[in-house]
Amino acid sequence: MKYSKELIADMYKELLSVRMAEEKLVEIYALGKVPGHIHSGVGEEAAYVVPLMTKQDGDYSKFTHRVIAATHAVGITFNEMFAEILGKDTGTSHGRGGVNHVARLDKGIIGVAGSLGVDTEVAIGAGLSAKYLDNGRIVYCFNGDGVHSRGNIHEAWNLAAEWKLPVLFVCDDNQFAISANHKNTICVPNPAADRAVAYGMPAKLVHGDDPLAVYDAAKELTDYIREGNGPAVLEVKTYRWRGHFEGDQCAYRDKEITEQELKKDCIVNLEEYIRENGVLSDEDMELMKKEIALELDEAVKFAESSPEPALDSVYLNVY
Amino acid sequence: MKQTFAQAISSTLSEEMRRDDKIIVYGEDVAEMGGIFTATRGIYEEFGAKRCISTPIAEGAIVGSAIGAAVTGLRPVVELMYSDFQLVAFNELFHSLGKWKFMHGEAYKLPLVVRCAGGYSFGAGPEHSNTFECLFTHAPGLTIITPSNVYDAKGLLRSAIRSDSPVLFYEHKQLYKTKMEVPEEEYCIPIGKADIKREGKDVTIIAVGLMVSKALEAAEKLEAEGISVEVLDPRTILPVDKDAFFESVSKTHRCVIVEESNKTAGLGAEWAAMIQEELFDELDAPIKRVASLDVPLPYNLGLEAECVPNPDKIIAAVKSLF
Repeated sequence: MKYSKELIADMYKELLSVRMAEEKLVEIYALGKVPGHIHSGVGEEAAYVVPLMTKQDGDYSKFTHRVIAATHAVGITFNEMFAEILGKDTGTSHGRGGVNHVARLDKGIIGVAGSLGVDTEVAIGAGLSAKYLDNGRIVYCFNGDGVHSRGNIHEAWNLAAEWKLPVLFVCDDNQFAISANHKNTICVPNPAADRAVAYGMPAKLVHGDDPLAVYDAAKELTDYIREGNGPAVLEVKTYRWRGHFEGDQCAYRDKEITEQELKKDCIVNLEEYIRENGVLSDEDMELMKKEIALELDEAVKFAESSPEPALDSVYLNVY
Repeated sequence: MKQTFAQAISSTLSEEMRRDDKIIVYGEDVAEMGGIFTATRGIYEEFGAKRCISTPIAEGAIVGSAIGAAVTGLRPVVELMYSDFQLVAFNELFHSLGKWKFMHGEAYKLPLVVRCAGGYSFGAGPEHSNTFECLFTHAPGLTIITPSNVYDAKGLLRSAIRSDSPVLFYEHKQLYKTKMEVPEEEYCIPIGKADIKREGKDVTIIAVGLMVSKALEAAEKLEAEGISVEVLDPRTILPVDKDAFFESVSKTHRCVIVEESNKTAGLGAEWAAMIQEELFDELDAPIKRVASLDVPLPYNLGLEAECVPNPDKIIAAVKSLF
């Protein structure tokens, strides 16, 4: 086998953690426990978790509005994540930012802009400081397909490429920006990979249901970046399994296509590989699922029993 | 020693950069050219391409990247050539710069300064002449500074650079060549403190930026006619020195606000509301605003002069209060 058993086991456990956390979010949302909206990322986990398997200590990451459970992959605990999503004082920003802004600077998370695209400009700034301070850090910058029509992405790409900043631009192309099918709104089939060449950046295109292909591509590109060659682009093809937000009926989508796409599951595929190569037994995998399920139940309990922020603390962290 | 406003900017930047190697300067034409108004002259020669960079035309990325760099250990001082171009980066300035720490937590400090050159400058036209503090006073989380002279510019820029909060620093194009005697030793002017530029007892004129000198000119003429004018320069536009405003107006009981931004929803609109809300009983007359007309600033010099405040308009406004 090309990979170490440890790598595969770690990859599987993290994919499972993020998948189950994303499912848990859908579950508690349906129970009315979440103030605000959530953007479910079930099915797209590999686009986030797997590139981060190449992460080294100190590296930065910028997430986006979907698959926010993937922040777990860089060290956010389920407790603080769910507390923030429920708007509690024990959340990562004391309930001020909520589901879109789960972040901890000591875990290298740069943050997310509610206005997508702007945060890609912010992410390259972390690359600027890494290069200036010569600390060898790189930036994992995640975005969906839709935002690649925003000018900010292009400003950030040009600047990062020109300054040779150590940034991996990951595009999770789940094919939809709310109701907009990328076929009808983006002038090229692959919003990031097709356009990288215009910025002098190398690009790779992989499928999100093939985690090992994602890993190989991410490894090659991050090695390239770590050698000081400048930024690179990784496009991961996925499909948005659920609506843009919970409650979105997706009437604008072809149900049959969706049914077919739901079968392309990165976790099912990795389990097949795991069995074929004897990485883990079925019992091992079942145990993992039970442990994660317990952890998530604890996290929901923790979040629910956490205090709301005090009303007179409304000016906290404004300045 | 005598320095021009532009020299005050570049020398202060250089001194701070010598003191702290985390400070980097970037923006359009700031390096070899030294800035189109010469405000960063000498920095590239002294600190080199690593610390002084001329960027592509990309205001959004300039501001956005400064946020990312500030959050991860640097102290950027970036330049948006014209205040008008702040609108290209409005999202980055209003949402991201102002709210990043709030949204993500106390660890996300933003020790950065965004400098720009604003104000009318004889034929620059509707999109190269704007005075935009008023747009950003609506943004929670931002600090806004507008120095009106060389001495204030030096001390306030130093404070802005040393602050751990994000600052918008407005320089007026017409002030760059003005000269003033300034101390050799370094000094800081506290952020959030107004300055009485001229003491008086009959009326308070609150004036911003270039308008301070217009107000002082008007004050001289009014003095000759027996009206004693106090000229108050806020210096920090946000958070504004409310106590200083109230102390002065409580003394004079009359107030005129002079700004170069357009009248509608300008700074005067906010400050007049603020003062009358809490100091109504101290006022012997309504608060008047002298501001630019609510039109895009014309290219024609005669029309341009017609639009902006001048000492005569200020004098007329003051007299109308008596």
